[in-house]
Amino acid sequence: MLELQLKPQFSVVIPPKTLQEGYLVTFSSDWPSTQEAIREKTFRIDAVNQVPYDLSYTIPTGDYRDVDFANGGGTFKENIYPENQTSLFEVLVGFKPGCFLSHWYIPAGKSVHNLEYAQMYPDLTSAKKKYLGARTAKDSPYEDPRIKLYLVKDLAPLIMRLFVLPGVDYEKIVTGLIINKCLMREIVAPTDDQKLKAKVIRYYDYLRW
Amino acid sequence: MPSTVVTADTTAQTIAAEKENAAVLAESITIDNLLGGGDRVIQIQDIFTPAVTNGVPVPVETTVSRFTYTALAGDQITLGQDEIKGVKCLGAMKVISDVIDASCIITVGYKHDE
Repeated sequence: MLELQLKPQFSVVIPPKTLQEGYLVTFSSDWPSTQEAIREKTFRIDAVNQVPYDLSYTIPTGDYRDVDFANGGGTFKENIYPENQTSLFEVLVGFKPGCFLSHWYIPAGKSVHNLEYAQMYPDLTSAKKKYLGARTAKDSPYEDPRIKLYLVKDLAPLIMRLFVLPGVDYEKIVTGLIINKCLMREIVAPTDDQKLKAKVIRYYDYLRW
Repeated sequence: MPSTVVTADTTAQTIAAEKENAAVLAESITIDNLLGGGDRVIQIQDIFTPAVTNGVPVPVETTVSRFTYTALAGDQITLGQDEIKGVKCLGAMKVISDVIDASCIITVGYKHDE
């Protein structure tokens, strides 16, 4: 038998998960006034460099650790933030499987996953509300991370609270980071086309309308 | 699958050192007590220092027993994945015995959960 493989009628192209060289980004107007250097401005990514970094914490049951991505000398600080105004760090976060939850705050104590009714915010002392807004390893696996953060110089502290659920004596929480370092160059007068193509990076407050 | 051979000792013997970004999983254990001087109680221990947490600002080294088996004198036993599934060490994997006995030989196969 002679068979001719037909030419495919379409193909699927999966875009890259991270910002690439030549991409455009715009920081929206909801960035705080302390971020005037980037607020409402458009930049071209001139270079990228992906830096993998694993963080791991062995935590007893019912206890938690606040992982602070900001720079500094404190015990909980992990020094992931950029130090240059022209750097944007796009960080992918994935977890190895385990009996734990993660909650997210920016700045410290201010959850990004509240509901609107009073008291409906994550509460680790509550049997029910500790699950409110919680992200697990299934939501963002180590091999296929889906949580993405955008970090710039002097951003308010971004906190990942890792809480070990009952059922184990201790849990080792392995968090895999891919830090996509992006070197930005400002486009002083972006065209309408550039504005349209640029990825809009909004401030975290927009999650809390 | 790597493996480590140790003899029964009352001081914990290292099977696999701690790897920061992975746990150690036991894959098999063989206890050869054919020439041993008596029954031996063999444990797999998990030894680690927990992270600083909001609840425990100064953690100390912790030992957790993850598996115990009594090997009878004159006996040899091999336990595979079905029998020891779930034996997982967050820190270093070590083996300890209730009695020092150079004739009781313990072989542990293991892997890291990567």
